[in-house]
Amino acid sequence: MAKKMTLALFSGSVDKLTAAGVILGGAAAEDMDVEIFVLLQAAFAFKKENAMTNDRVAEITDKKDEFLASLKRLETPHWTEAFRKAKEMTNVKIHICGFAGKVWHGEKLDDFIDLADDIVGIGEYVDAAENSDINLFI
Amino acid sequence: MDRAMTKEELKQLKPDKVVDARGTACPGPLLAVKQAIADVPDGGIMEILSSDEGTKRDVPRWAKKKGYEYLGDFEESGYFTIYLKK
Repeated sequence: MAKKMTLALFSGSVDKLTAAGVILGGAAAEDMDVEIFVLLQAAFAFKKENAMTNDRVAEITDKKDEFLASLKRLETPHWTEAFRKAKEMTNVKIHICGFAGKVWHGEKLDDFIDLADDIVGIGEYVDAAENSDINLFI
Repeated sequence: MDRAMTKEELKQLKPDKVVDARGTACPGPLLAVKQAIADVPDGGIMEILSSDEGTKRDVPRWAKKKGYEYLGDFEESGYFTIYLKK
């Protein structure tokens, strides 16, 4: 039986989303079942109009240009591509928190990139986290 | 095998599949290995090329979990060559 990972994804910054993508890659290699709950600032990044243009970083912000240049130098896939590859390789479900969606004027699933599977309430996160082997907050 | 093979022994192997992941950073090589293992026949050999230091630890650990045999690795010309037996 596949191990389960839940990820409470709060951050909408490229640095943390890239880290989440790396971890998702590890989970995909292990054939884990993953449920991602897109909370508050992450919902901003998942909006269609923001996903590819948002280049905010959350940490070591004075080195943002160096960080972004290094991602390019290392041919690091954009976080959306890392998430997409993980979805192709293992069972990954991405849930948008309904409240978070509303904060960023995203009322419908179609307001978000096609990686998102549905819009849910927080109860689903709590249920999933209760039954997971690994629970992360990023 | 009880021990990793020597560099000379590894170089004698005839891989059934070569995965060249030298252009990618973690987790790219590991994901490339996972995707390519389906192309290796049972008992077949996979050769992995990676310039990512973490790969030489990730791949043996992953292989053990999946029931594949890690045969060994060596570093040469600025990259790692790793061998698995399916």
